Amino acid sequence: MCRANRNLLSSASQEAQLNDKTFNKKQPKKDIQDWQAMFAEWAKEAPEGPLKRFYQAGMIAPNTALKDAPLLALDLETTGLDPSKDEIISLGLIPLDHKIIRCQGAKYWMAKPERSLHAESVTIHEITHAELEEAPRLHAILDEILTALSHQVIVVHCVAIERQFLLEAAMKVYGYPLYFPVLDTMDIERQATFKPWWQRFGRRPSLRLDACRQRYKLPRYKAHHALTDALSSAELLQAQISYHMDPEADISHYWV
Amino acid sequence: MDVELTEILEALCQHAPFNEIADDPQLNDMAKEIEIQYVRAGEWVIAPSALNNTLFFIRSGAIEVLSKEEKLIRRMNEGEIFGYASLLRGGKSSQSMRTIEDSLLYRIPARWFLKLHAENDNFSDFFQLAREARLRAAMDAQNSDVSLMTCPVVSLLRRPPISTQMDSSIRIAAQIMAEHRVSSLLITDNDELIGIVTDRDLRTRAVAEGLAYDTPVSDIMTRDPVVMDSGDYASEAVLKMMERNVHHIPIVKNGLPIGVVSTGDLIQKESHGSVYLISDIYKQTSIEGLKSISRKMTHTFTQLVLADANTQMIGNAMSHIGTAFVKRLLQLAEEKYGPPPVPYCFIALGSQAREEQTIKTDQDNALILSDQYDKTQHGEYFENLADWVCKHLDDCGYDLCSGDIMASNPRWRQPLKVWKQHFSEWIQQPKAEALLRLSIFFDLRGVYGDKTLAKQLNQHIRAEAQQHAGFLTFMARNANQRKPPLGFFRQFVLDGEGTQSRTFNLKERGIAPIIDIVRVHALACGSDKLNTLERIEDIEAAGLLPDGRAKDLALALEMIGMVRIRNQKDQIEAGEEPNNHVNPEHLSSFEKRHLRDAFHIVSRQQEFIKFRFAGSATK
Repeated sequence: MCRANRNLLSSASQEAQLNDKTFNKKQPKKDIQDWQAMFAEWAKEAPEGPLKRFYQAGMIAPNTALKDAPLLALDLETTGLDPSKDEIISLGLIPLDHKIIRCQGAKYWMAKPERSLHAESVTIHEITHAELEEAPRLHAILDEILTALSHQVIVVHCVAIERQFLLEAAMKVYGYPLYFPVLDTMDIERQATFKPWWQRFGRRPSLRLDACRQRYKLPRYKAHHALTDALSSAELLQAQISYHMDPEADISHYWV
Repeated sequence: MDVELTEILEALCQHAPFNEIADDPQLNDMAKEIEIQYVRAGEWVIAPSALNNTLFFIRSGAIEVLSKEEKLIRRMNEGEIFGYASLLRGGKSSQSMRTIEDSLLYRIPARWFLKLHAENDNFSDFFQLAREARLRAAMDAQNSDVSLMTCPVVSLLRRPPISTQMDSSIRIAAQIMAEHRVSSLLITDNDELIGIVTDRDLRTRAVAEGLAYDTPVSDIMTRDPVVMDSGDYASEAVLKMMERNVHHIPIVKNGLPIGVVSTGDLIQKESHGSVYLISDIYKQTSIEGLKSISRKMTHTFTQLVLADANTQMIGNAMSHIGTAFVKRLLQLAEEKYGPPPVPYCFIALGSQAREEQTIKTDQDNALILSDQYDKTQHGEYFENLADWVCKHLDDCGYDLCSGDIMASNPRWRQPLKVWKQHFSEWIQQPKAEALLRLSIFFDLRGVYGDKTLAKQLNQHIRAEAQQHAGFLTFMARNANQRKPPLGFFRQFVLDGEGTQSRTFNLKERGIAPIIDIVRVHALACGSDKLNTLERIEDIEAAGLLPDGRAKDLALALEMIGMVRIRNQKDQIEAGEEPNNHVNPEHLSSFEKRHLRDAFHIVSRQQEFIKFRFAGSATK
């Protein structure tokens, strides 16, 4: 557990460093992040049950090429932005690789929150009270979600939110944290659009999902449905791969 | 857990043939098996002679269809499907498909296509009809060849550019040209294009002059040659060649040369399109001849619409044709009345100046005279010239302007200094009502004569407008005068009387408000562009609008413009006089939905400029 935290801390500082450099797909990171080794550690530590099985399923080696990596786009809708008190109410998944998004493996869950919904978050999500009333609680479906996430590199737009909410959920249900490697389309975009002269004049380009998508001439979607948003970031990643990333490069280069 | 891919289903069901089978429960099952692919511009989707096992749906972007000989057959856009012909033939593809824009494609497995095709008549009918439509388009393309209008100049390029460094000798240059069998050579300085040398240059500037073989090629090149951008239309290349009297035009992309287009490349493509019409106009020596050409214009217009030209291309073509009529009439007038005693510039106003003319337009024009103009000495000459030209423009189908904004009106035939005074008054002491009538003057383009006069006037206007914020407040207020018909689905908010009582005016309620909005922003950011889409680019670059809003305006303009143009084409085909009125009952659900979106954009942007240019101007 302690080791796990240390590893994540070092990856966070690495991330911060990278943000200050121009994105360069040719240049490997010096200190590579080995999620495979970390998964093996956590598989030993985790309590018996679904989470242990999740870590036991393992992770691809850091020198796996991006084009061979099993990717899974994920999006959550939540009751608010604070992972310590807000809750997940829906989750969408859609599998892809560097070239193709496969609707066949798409998955979608709704979860009934413990606390009642605010009126404003209902309007944001287009999910109604009635729909949520009928949905199971998150703890009842988390096993199923973990099975779907097994052995996958997760694609999200803005890693901070998704990772933290799922970590909180796992702590609550299993008493042990859930970690997984992520390709963050927001961070990729930040690095790809980073140009020093923006610091001198003009404003930095927007990193909102919709704004990023427009940069690649992707169509505009209605936001705030977990499956649509997962699809949205999956398409964005494909566009980013074709513009900025090297499918032959090691996955360790891009995951965080 | 029932997964419903709402976004994908909705996109499919907005377009034929899926809209025909939207209630088929199998459609969601099919959607679950779709694969999605992002393809950058210029890549093969179905490579020549490749096997195909997928039905493709273009979610966004654009695709070009090429024949076996790699000739452009047609272009496809968002919502169109392709690949079915080869699926019906067991996978063999006679045509190849390549992206011309970054595209997002849905791949539908062949077995779903074959299943729906076999089981659902509504679905299979579409492919029968599509085949007929394609056939007609192919025939039209052969008969009238409007392809130059719709194909980008980059599609004419046969090979990468052949170039040499500026310090190469003329002998080396000639050897390179002989080796590659080309008639022109690009001259570069560190990859930057600085000149061009052609066969003719070698002949006239080198051999005929007896220059030594080791003379640097830079001595005989044409410096800073006329270039075009890879995104320009081939038709513009023709116009540019005629205008500048050159036979080779380097094509550049992001500032770097990617090839050369020659007259030969263009002649191969072109036979009867609108470019041909333009060169025909210049050959006429009588009014009768010009009138007979003007009668062919409706045909050219409908051909362009049938060839799926977008509104920008059509506006561009119709404006170039309009300008050709003006120029030729002025040439004939100068033959009749003699050369002008002082320099002048004939200016187009409004849609012609913006290069956005359609089939049915009035003439809006004026004359700027040189400041040497003296009324007693020269007044009669210009009166005769202007009267004659305006009268015969009317004969050629450009109706006299009902507001009398024409060069034949002495008020609009003034020396440059008087024009400058007029504009200074309008801008410094704006009067809402007067400006409403005068807004047309803020789209002003010199078409014939001494164009520096028009340029100077435009500079004056830009400088004055930027210094007087109150003026923009008035313009913004005027841009809010005409409201889009937002409620047209519920209760019709209709214009006019009689036969048009169930219709609304697309130009007045949709297109004009967008043009007005864009003009205000363009004046605010000091843009020197006249074309609305080009102005939008400047506005976007200047960061005047929130992210994405500038593009929204361009989309709304294209959407409303397209409905107008299709409507005019239908009116012509029904033997009616084309106008700007459309009956909502005659619109498809697709058109209605998009028109509604477009009108909402217009309405929001009207609100925005009201707030953005709110000022102390009083009514």
